[in-house]
Amino acid sequence: MSKWMPSAHRAQWRSYIGITLLIVLMTAIVRPLDFAFDLVNVALIYLLPVLLSASLWGFRPAFYAAVLSVLALDFFYIPPKLSFTVADLRYLISFVVYLAVAALTASLASRLKQQLLYSRQKEAHTAALYEVSRQISATTDIRALIDSVSLQVSQAIGSEAAFYLPDERNKLKVMLPSFASSDWGRNEEEQAIAKLVYEHGEAAGFGTELLRDHSGHFSPLQADGSMHGVLAVRLKDRSSGFTLEQQRLLEALGGLAASTIARMKLMEEARIAHLTAESERLRTAILDSVSHELRTPLAAIIGSATSLIEGHELFSSDDRMELLKTIRDGSLRMNRLVQNLLGMVQLESGMLKLRQNWCDVEDLIGVALAQVKDFQQNRRIRVRPMIGIPLIRGDEVLLEQMLVNIVSNAIKYSPDFSEIAIVARVAEDRLVLSVSDQGSGLANDEYDLIFEKFYRARSARNVTGTGLGLAICKGIVELHGGAISASPNVPNGTMITIKLPLARDEEAIGKTISPVIEKAGVEHE
Amino acid sequence: MNEHGARILIVDDEPQIRKLLKVSLQAHQYAITEAASGEEGLLQASTAPPDLIVLDLGLPDLSGMEVLARLREWSGVPIIVLTAKDREEDKIAALDGGADDYVTKPFGMGELVARIRVALRHVAKSPNEPILQFDELTIDLAQRIVELRGERVKLTPTEYDLLKLLASHAGKVVTQRQLLQQVWGAQTTESDSHYLRVYIGHLRKKLEEDSTQPKFIVTEPGIGYRFLSRD
Repeated sequence: MSKWMPSAHRAQWRSYIGITLLIVLMTAIVRPLDFAFDLVNVALIYLLPVLLSASLWGFRPAFYAAVLSVLALDFFYIPPKLSFTVADLRYLISFVVYLAVAALTASLASRLKQQLLYSRQKEAHTAALYEVSRQISATTDIRALIDSVSLQVSQAIGSEAAFYLPDERNKLKVMLPSFASSDWGRNEEEQAIAKLVYEHGEAAGFGTELLRDHSGHFSPLQADGSMHGVLAVRLKDRSSGFTLEQQRLLEALGGLAASTIARMKLMEEARIAHLTAESERLRTAILDSVSHELRTPLAAIIGSATSLIEGHELFSSDDRMELLKTIRDGSLRMNRLVQNLLGMVQLESGMLKLRQNWCDVEDLIGVALAQVKDFQQNRRIRVRPMIGIPLIRGDEVLLEQMLVNIVSNAIKYSPDFSEIAIVARVAEDRLVLSVSDQGSGLANDEYDLIFEKFYRARSARNVTGTGLGLAICKGIVELHGGAISASPNVPNGTMITIKLPLARDEEAIGKTISPVIEKAGVEHE
Repeated sequence: MNEHGARILIVDDEPQIRKLLKVSLQAHQYAITEAASGEEGLLQASTAPPDLIVLDLGLPDLSGMEVLARLREWSGVPIIVLTAKDREEDKIAALDGGADDYVTKPFGMGELVARIRVALRHVAKSPNEPILQFDELTIDLAQRIVELRGERVKLTPTEYDLLKLLASHAGKVVTQRQLLQQVWGAQTTESDSHYLRVYIGHLRKKLEEDSTQPKFIVTEPGIGYRFLSRD
């Protein structure tokens, strides 16, 4: 307030000078025309400066204008003219009435003006608060909140702010805005006051009942009936104190900060709860899947082995072969599971080292097909001839594992005697590899879900599997900087599409390799 | 030497694996000795030299690689290493360090026996056989002529060298490095592996009916190539 006081004084003096000048001017203009006007009209003309100053400057200047107008009327217009003496005493009554009218008008006009001013101020205040609250409620970070509230405090009140927030063990920690210019707030004294305020929930420091001589104002940050911390504001000039406005703003800011902190805490709690639930869900899924997938083949193995041992002579050689095959198949299945689990762990832990070798896609497909040969039964796997497919950079072991997983899936989820098509092509700077089957396909929402860990397609409940294969494929493809997706195959079935980046110097190598090598080769001849 | 009745030393710390190998290999007419540790294996190999060693790379005392290196200091006995699935580096290191072949745990017994046979046969075979014969494929080393089903196959010198190297180790895996260094020269490294990919591709186009289902040159992912010979 101290800031605007001198200028306000100056403005008031100006208004008085202005009024005086105006009345002198009016007198100078109206006086020569005196003969043309009735005295009543003149009196009304002299009401003008009163109204003008009432609406422009308020009550006091208006009343000053009224007094000056009466004096001017008396001196210049009321006989005897050019004298303050009043011949007819009835004019005195007129003067009193005139002054009363002027005073009333002035007070009405100035009150109107004040109301306008007040509502303007309020509007500005509300707008400012709204802006701050919008900013603050958008923050999700405690540091950003502290900065933004402190900035408002320094802009509106011109003083420094410090926050005291409890840590996990409910111990208050002082937090200063990132632009803090001093260490105010870090002193033991201030920390002690903050602690007091935090524990009792009552404001302390300047302008309060408690420690009113301290240079800081400490207000508790309360929201939803619980304490979230303390906001301290350092007063620059203790003598001026806070205006009502500033105090209100401070309260509003404190309330906003408190509710934002409360909201952040809730959000954090919700996030942790969600994470816990998610990891719980995953753990259950792992346990269910692994225990089922491990126990089923184990049951077959143990059962077959024990019956072979105990009833050695009961079985025909065909039966014995059957049981032995059961043992072998069960073990292979367990082996696949263990491999998938290990693969997943390696992928997730980031332990997997990617070897960057040159890989021939046709070769990769060939190796993968050799691996699935034993269980493809009568399904026909058709590989579209590959012409002009360049080598790709990657880890051939992982890529082969990925292909085996995808082709195995295509086999697993499609009927015997159906066809599986493998197509490789180059699109822009990517190698696009697709594997399509003629199986039952997936539900619309499952095309993304099948790449999630432990997700099993709803139509595949009766087929054994862990739901890890495609998740591993996704991990491997992404490790190579590629992308994997699933889509419906026409007319039926599923198509898995893998996109892998091509090395940029690929073309150059493909073109230059032959002549160079052949030259070297000739020497052998 | 007759491959039946050959003496095989098994170096593995797992009693169950030793038992399995012993029973199964004895059924194939091999004479088996066992060692449960690297030191014991080295001792047995020097006191009663076997015809072949099956060596587990994951031993408790010495690393399998060390046993391999110490054996190779004085012995050329065929060595087949047993490794875990995801240890490609170990496999390559063992093969480049002198192992003849590898089998990945868990393995089928048929696979192991096939590897043992190939390794024993290579020792028995006289090195200066002028003509290599595989089903429909004939390689005349003296005249550098390759015939497939009686028809001559035109190969470039590099392709021929590559085929010759693979075929003369028929049944055995040859690592990428071995192929690169022996065909392209000692200065080539694994980063030149695209040469190998391209030439293997060319060879397959000329020899195989279906490149995605090769009958002669199969890929051992991450390791190298193996020329298949049928027994």
